Amino acid sequence: MLHRPGLARFALPRFALARFALAPVTLALILMGLAPLSAHGPTPQKADETIMISAPPEAVWKILADFGGIAGWHPLVKKATATGNEAGAERVLTLEKGEVKEGLDEADAGAMRLAYRLSQENIEALPVSFYTATIEVKPAAGGSEVAWSARFYRGDTSNFPPDELNDEAAVAAMTDFVKQGLEGLKAKAGGQ
Amino acid sequence: MKATAAALLTALIGAGPSPAAARELVAVVSQQAGQLSIVDPAVPAVVASVALAAVPAGIAVSADGRTAFITHPDLGALSRVDLATTSVSLHLKVGAEPFGIAIAPDGVSVLVTDWSADALIHLDGATGREIARVAVGRSPAGLVVDARTSRAYVADRESDTVSVIDLARMERISVIPVGRAPFVLALSPDGRRLYVANVRSNDLSVIDIETVREIARPRIGLMPYGVAVTADGRQVIVTNQQSGKLAWLDAVSLRVRAETRIGEYPEGVLTLSDGRVVATNWADDELCITIPEPGAPCRWRVPLPAGPRMMESFTAGNNIP
Repeated sequence: MLHRPGLARFALPRFALARFALAPVTLALILMGLAPLSAHGPTPQKADETIMISAPPEAVWKILADFGGIAGWHPLVKKATATGNEAGAERVLTLEKGEVKEGLDEADAGAMRLAYRLSQENIEALPVSFYTATIEVKPAAGGSEVAWSARFYRGDTSNFPPDELNDEAAVAAMTDFVKQGLEGLKAKAGGQ
Repeated sequence: MKATAAALLTALIGAGPSPAAARELVAVVSQQAGQLSIVDPAVPAVVASVALAAVPAGIAVSADGRTAFITHPDLGALSRVDLATTSVSLHLKVGAEPFGIAIAPDGVSVLVTDWSADALIHLDGATGREIARVAVGRSPAGLVVDARTSRAYVADRESDTVSVIDLARMERISVIPVGRAPFVLALSPDGRRLYVANVRSNDLSVIDIETVREIARPRIGLMPYGVAVTADGRQVIVTNQQSGKLAWLDAVSLRVRAETRIGEYPEGVLTLSDGRVVATNWADDELCITIPEPGAPCRWRVPLPAGPRMMESFTAGNNIP
């Protein structure tokens, strides 16, 4: 969708320049503890998936509400540690290529809705610079429907991102993360 | 189909000199789809659409209701749309990452924030030529213009400040510290209060214009991304993107009176002249319209092309031939 053939001939030199210029800035920001505040531009992308699970909503919510328990059901999360299950809690996810940190914004037990955000990015592990996401469990015929929705920005928010950090790469990675997560949740909850 | 829609829109905005013929319409930018939709909230439905270049973001409509200007941050470009013919009449390079946009006090020229150049740029509306620019804080996002005082207020997202710009001199005359990551702002109808939605601190900075100071910072909800004030100035309405809610704040007590779940990732919000509230639900690809009652749910939902975010209402005027 965002492929712009007219720019192709500039891609290599600009890419090289952008990477060269970005690295020290990014490093400085990380050292200042500012990276999560400063690292995204203005064009958000979306990953939005739902799954049917033949388990009661309360049972599915119980799994989700354990904020640090994600490694127990998400195939892409090797390890997770959380500071709690309340708003303000943080968790560190160990993925195949590194760690990302997430913050819990809201765990609404009444609505069975979890809202969280990326608080420390790692574009090696996940090629996005920022995201917010929600997971909501709703009653459905035969069990539950779980909707997982993420809103995020590509890994390199400059106007000339390399292929591995562009919008398509971000959408592919987040969609895969969400889909595999829902499948894992379904398996954990005992759905068919 | 498209011709019919265009003819309908022409009929709506070109209809006679009678004041009763003036129609209030809403122009909504769908970022993923690259589309501009013109919604007639009286129906409510999309009455015309215009294909735009990739990733359109901000929108402003000229005072006469004839022309829309749209920013394309990823392209470093600006599109101008003739609303009577629903066609793109100009598309040109502007700045590095133009994002927020507003019409200048003269009603025709254009002000654009440049997200990566940290500047506010004044452009000729007819040619797109740069007239002047002024440095603001880091990653300027939304802006509002008060034509009465010829000032612009710019949300400097990564500096956590609001820049006050004297537009006659294109000079930054004040810098007001606010909450974390201010994104958009709204002025009260009397021009005395400025409300600033702080995306990362989940609150709203309330600024007294006379003293140019933040006087309160009430907590609003998760990721406030849009803000509007009712015509009587008594209610401030905020979209809380991450909780999917519309929050109604009492302008006197500065307390949230009511909040309602309206959809997934709501962003832009505005009030219509009849008091109804319009919000874009970004992830649901729709416009939500509520009655003017704090806490009211969506009464109408208008489907839109993918990724609706920013919008502007305008009066399709009786001065259009």
